[in-house]
Amino acid sequence: MSLRKLWLLGLSHHSAPVELRERLALDDATAGELARRLLEQVPGLEECALLSTCNRVEVVGCGDLGAADPAAVVGILRNGRPLNDEEIRRHLYLHEDRAAARHLFRVASSLDSMVLGEPQILGQVKGFYETAVRAGTAGVVLHRVFHKAFSAAKRVRSETGIGGRNVSVSSVAVELAMQIFESLSEKTALLIGAGKMAELAARQFRDRGIGGLMFANRTFDRGVELARELHGTPVPFEELSRYLPMADVVIGSTAATEFLLTEADVQEASRLRGYRPTFLIDLGVPRNFDPRINDLRNVYLYDIDDLESVIGENREERGREAARAEEIVSEEIESFWRWFENLEVVPTIVGLRDKAARICRRELDRTFGALKHLGDDERKSIEAMAEAIVNKLLHEPIARLKRVQRPDDESVILARRLFGLDDDD
Amino acid sequence: MDWALLGIVLVLYLVAAGAFVAYLATGRERLRTLAPLVLASAAALHALEIAGRSFAVGHIAVATFEEGLSFLAFSLAILYLLVDRANALAVLGGVITPLVAVLMGMSLVVSSGATELPPALRSAWLPVHVTLAFLGNAVFALAFATSLVYVFEDNRLKAKKPGRRRLLPSLERLDDLNYRLLSWGFPLLTLGIVSGAVWAHFAWGRFWSWEAREIWSLVTWTLYALLLHGRSVGWRGRRAATLTIFGFAVLLVSFVSVNVFFPGRHGGSFGS
Repeated sequence: MSLRKLWLLGLSHHSAPVELRERLALDDATAGELARRLLEQVPGLEECALLSTCNRVEVVGCGDLGAADPAAVVGILRNGRPLNDEEIRRHLYLHEDRAAARHLFRVASSLDSMVLGEPQILGQVKGFYETAVRAGTAGVVLHRVFHKAFSAAKRVRSETGIGGRNVSVSSVAVELAMQIFESLSEKTALLIGAGKMAELAARQFRDRGIGGLMFANRTFDRGVELARELHGTPVPFEELSRYLPMADVVIGSTAATEFLLTEADVQEASRLRGYRPTFLIDLGVPRNFDPRINDLRNVYLYDIDDLESVIGENREERGREAARAEEIVSEEIESFWRWFENLEVVPTIVGLRDKAARICRRELDRTFGALKHLGDDERKSIEAMAEAIVNKLLHEPIARLKRVQRPDDESVILARRLFGLDDDD
Repeated sequence: MDWALLGIVLVLYLVAAGAFVAYLATGRERLRTLAPLVLASAAALHALEIAGRSFAVGHIAVATFEEGLSFLAFSLAILYLLVDRANALAVLGGVITPLVAVLMGMSLVVSSGATELPPALRSAWLPVHVTLAFLGNAVFALAFATSLVYVFEDNRLKAKKPGRRRLLPSLERLDDLNYRLLSWGFPLLTLGIVSGAVWAHFAWGRFWSWEAREIWSLVTWTLYALLLHGRSVGWRGRRAATLTIFGFAVLLVSFVSVNVFFPGRHGGSFGS
């Protein structure tokens, strides 16, 4: 007799260093291929799916765990790559049953992510589930557990604010800009300097549809280069004051030790702009813009510390929302788990009824064969009586089985053994 | 007047106000959908009540202080519903609907039953003048709410404590709305004053008699004229918002004090 278990084996940023994760990472096609190989080579395994992102490599499986050897799974996961199995096994975790489902639900809901609430993970999980479906390695249990994981993730996203707050410098900067400006499509951003962070911010602004980008760099060529890459316009660094009034958003990220823009510079630019709002983002350390600029009317200046403090608050908010998300996951787990358990109990009940019906039929046929003179009415009465006896006898065992909470409950095993459901007959 | 109907209207205004405030506190989308619906049904019933009363007295029911308050509450509710397009503008609803409920409540409190209008004032100019004046006031009240939110958000941004953007409109949108409201409110105010002067001419033979209400109106008109002019020369954002708030404060003082302390023709008792 087989008692199915759900299990999840893997490693993630919580358990393994990036050097190991990146060497174990799988692409879509390989994941499908390896899932097929797992089904062939691991005895007792009925269904499986692989999941691989930059933060995790995991196998979700369903089948008889007793026969499945983690070493065999690791060997297949390694897929001929030059890695030490022992090294991998040291970083592995194994979750069974409810814990396995919980882990998968938490991963899909981004509760296990490095950045809590990040939105990409759900798409990645979906992608790998589809790979398993295409590879034909997902069955009734995995379909169910993945779909439940997706709906848990959707509930978490819509019912909690876990993904609602930005936690990166560039996205917070864009978010602030959107709080000042209604739309970015007719706005122009001016980048002064070419730091990595400024470039990220510029990309973010471009992705959110900013109307124009200007690049001013001390080395004009670098400005030209960035401008070409991001479809902007290079402007000469020396003529900053000429371009400043055109900019609605000004991002500074130079290594200058003195202020690039003073209060007077921005005041003059603001006057020339007719006091339309100006948003300045100072990513430089030491700071590029005089902090007093923030005191000017309709001018908003955020330096890197200000942005970090907004991020800090957003993180805290996400943490608070995570507690609500965990509750949702628990609810969804319970609903999945009831289904999964029934899956074990149901075949037992069905088996019991089938067997009883077969015996009943056989004995009736034998009796009717001996008593050929019986009329239809009499036959019907005898059939009804036989069925009633069988049903009465089975009523209590079946009612008790339906109340069973766990698939490996004694009574399920006992019922199968007493009625000989796993014997061939 | 129909007390039961007015009571229901007041309760619905209070429920709408509660829903808007609760939405701003919790961010629950269901409240966001519910609040304007409640407000709209309150305004619809309110419209019925005003129509019924006007029919009963034979002219538009804006002659007494209580009717004025009631009509102002109604105009504000309707105006907000007209402006309520973007999700983030619910914050204005959070300011306006409580104000509507307060005005409505005041109207019920000061209520003394319908009064007969003196024959001298029965003229086609009454509905024209009063409706224009109250619509103008409602528009300025909404501009005031817009400016309050602007100043609040501006302070938060300057203090590096931005709130949840989903619940707050952008500064640019608020400023734009403020400008549009001013450019609607100012002509209404102007026409209100002109129609009042014309009506006065027919009723008393004088266009202008320098009574308190008229002087206050002139002060308010000058302020809004200045503000509107200022906007065209770069008084935008924070400064425009501050002046709008100041302008409305003057308007409020004029409305209340004249009706309460200097009861002339515009006060509680017309024609005295």
